Amino acid sequence: MKKFLCATLALIMCLGLFAGCAPAADNNGGNTGADLSGTYDITMWVSEKEGVADQFQSQIDAFEAANPGITINAKIEGVTEADAASKVIADVATAPDLYCFAQDQLARLVQAAALAKPGKAAQDVIIANNDSGSVTAVKVAGEIYAYPMTSDNGYYMYYDKSIITEEDAKDLAKLVAACEKSGKKFRFALENAWYTAAFFFATGCEHTWTTDANGDFTSVNDTFNSDKGMIAMKGMQILAKSTAYDSDADKFTDAGVIVTGTWNAEAAKTHFGNNLAATKLPSFTVDGKTYQLGSYSGYKMMGVKPQTDAKRGAVLQLLAQFLTNEENQLARFNSFGWGPSNVKAQANEAVKANESLAALAAQNAFAVPQGQIAGVFWDNAKLLGAVAKAATSDAELQKGLDDYTKALDAFTSLTPAQRAAFTVIGGIKDTGWGTDFEMKEDPKGTWTSVEAFDLTAGTEFKVRQGMGWKVAFGDNTANADTSIPLSDKPNYKVEAAGKYYIQLVVAEDGQTAVINLVAAN
Amino acid sequence: MAKKIANENANPARTKRSMGVKVGRRISNTFVYIVLILMTVIWLFPFFGIVLESFRVETPQQVSYLWPKEFGWDNYYKLFNETDFMRWFINTGFMGICTAFLQVFFILSVSYTLSRMRFKGRKFLMNFMLILGMFPGFLTMILIYKVFAEAGLTMEMAPVGLIIVYCASSGMGYYVSKGFFDTIPKSLDEAARVDGATRFQVFYKVIMPMAKPIVIYTILMGFMAPWGDFMTASYIIHENSEGMNVAVGMYEWLSKTNLNTHYTMFCAGGVVVAVPVTALFLMLQKYYVEGVTGGAVKG
Repeated sequence: MKKFLCATLALIMCLGLFAGCAPAADNNGGNTGADLSGTYDITMWVSEKEGVADQFQSQIDAFEAANPGITINAKIEGVTEADAASKVIADVATAPDLYCFAQDQLARLVQAAALAKPGKAAQDVIIANNDSGSVTAVKVAGEIYAYPMTSDNGYYMYYDKSIITEEDAKDLAKLVAACEKSGKKFRFALENAWYTAAFFFATGCEHTWTTDANGDFTSVNDTFNSDKGMIAMKGMQILAKSTAYDSDADKFTDAGVIVTGTWNAEAAKTHFGNNLAATKLPSFTVDGKTYQLGSYSGYKMMGVKPQTDAKRGAVLQLLAQFLTNEENQLARFNSFGWGPSNVKAQANEAVKANESLAALAAQNAFAVPQGQIAGVFWDNAKLLGAVAKAATSDAELQKGLDDYTKALDAFTSLTPAQRAAFTVIGGIKDTGWGTDFEMKEDPKGTWTSVEAFDLTAGTEFKVRQGMGWKVAFGDNTANADTSIPLSDKPNYKVEAAGKYYIQLVVAEDGQTAVINLVAAN
Repeated sequence: MAKKIANENANPARTKRSMGVKVGRRISNTFVYIVLILMTVIWLFPFFGIVLESFRVETPQQVSYLWPKEFGWDNYYKLFNETDFMRWFINTGFMGICTAFLQVFFILSVSYTLSRMRFKGRKFLMNFMLILGMFPGFLTMILIYKVFAEAGLTMEMAPVGLIIVYCASSGMGYYVSKGFFDTIPKSLDEAARVDGATRFQVFYKVIMPMAKPIVIYTILMGFMAPWGDFMTASYIIHENSEGMNVAVGMYEWLSKTNLNTHYTMFCAGGVVVAVPVTALFLMLQKYYVEGVTGGAVKG
């Protein structure tokens, strides 16, 4: 029997070789027109959580059943999604064909050329079926690079309802007092930037980065070091100065309150038992004003490694699309409580009734979608939590914020050439003001974009210098008007759709300029 | 000092004073014992804690109390039946045994040669190896990975690759055994040579029977290496569960998603890993001490 099986497998593999002679299929996910049958040995990295790998295997079996002729021999490994990128980038050649990762790693993976873009048809499927946040999350410079898998990578609060009333759970100070009174811990990882940011978002601080098309970070918009940031620091102190505070939110020991995410949903049930309650984060009061804590909302996604064999690439794209569809996302919700990114799956009754996901959804109203963020932020913002805990005066708090700004400045410092150069930024190529496009100067004073853009009527953009907003030209009437400061010009609005190079002609004194749209042939 | 005390005791007129000395010694002894006991408790506590945690079955999470509310074998049962632990354990054991025997061969060959033979560049070679050994192993990380990846010795084949890593430079750890060989009189070799024995025969038939402690010491050291190695293993294995050793495999259980469901099982794994190493040490303890001290007589 075994011999027979071996022989059959060998035969199938030989057939696979012949199949290679057929014209190469378009590397296009969702392209069912071409004959993709064959046997494929693939490797896959999925979450290391118990049972996840087994479920993916059964879903792959279902994929084979739905696509007769395709046989997939998958080797599935459990590798943490929180850090898959560094392991993939370490050696892209031996990296798995399909892998799951959290969105913050997308830019790095694109930089390392470790992701194959889904084909046009597959992109349309992604856009049509997933919530808008997750679709934005899988994009770098306007291009889709991965398949959204979950929309649950955010945090909210679990608490013990035997010691805290529903009303008290809305206010940070009351929560802290209740924990102190009952001798329980308030677990909130303030010394992890992902969580530290909650207090800053509460007071309206911002932190966003722009990247170029290669995924390299170019500039940052950061308002943490401000009056609002100071209020956030004081808000943190309400918790950090308490004896109940514990910055280790990975474990539940003695927890009366814990700020964590869906990955700990089961553990929370074990710990709190019948006293489990889940809700959005509380608000805090500083100087008589109340601020609702914000958070980061994040997504998890599945990527395909670029393949040398186009047919194999197409099969992998098809498989990735299948594994992230409504049915399979629901299956993962049922087994592991992962919140789907698929809109139809989100509308499912069971999903809506899930306590943890309901809390996440409530918190999401105050959440900031986590775009691409440079490592320097994670390394330095986490220090602010420790500063808030240790500081005894406003001056110390301010010093913490100043140190933070210094670290960011050191990272974003540009070369003199970069500081002088102009770039185009705006609602171009679906980048949502997140990407600077390069311009070249020739002759002196005339800057032309390196690539031509498909611009629709009404598209807005600006041309800025040194990737900052101190000098940024926009609307031509305003560009000529020196009474409007260079930092405050309105956006340029495209009047007629077309494919254009964007050109900027700057006057010799640098105070006025004209933006031209040069039609591309 | 001892003599002086004896004199004092001999003089009956001064017994009172000698009592004082006795009391003084008792006090200092008590103090020393208290410190020692405290240190023992501190040192043993983590081990004790891990063993207790591994039998705790009421919850797999970390808790604030030490004594389990319910004892059971569940964690051990799950360890062997529901995870790849057995595979990692076998991998590590395989690596341990191979490394132990290959290392003995390399180390003894190098140290015997350096101890007995005189050749050009011997001193230079010894110093060179000493200096080379000063560089931390991770400096070669990227290069080793690239070479091994090309040769197909990573991922599933990682155990083989790792054995090569552990053994390749083991000859450089010749100091202790060379010191030991230096203590065996050279005249023994010469006598055997006169009787017509070859160099190898001298080594094998004359020296080896006397070098038992150092052989066992080398075996033990070689066997230990793979059990605790995480750094080299983690990059050579590159997330392939078939090729993992216990350290890399169990590390996954400490991740954000797994910690609260696998913590007690992690402790159980720790206890199981300690078993072969502890057993071997207990069995060979006598030789181990001899080996270390024997080698230190003459460096």
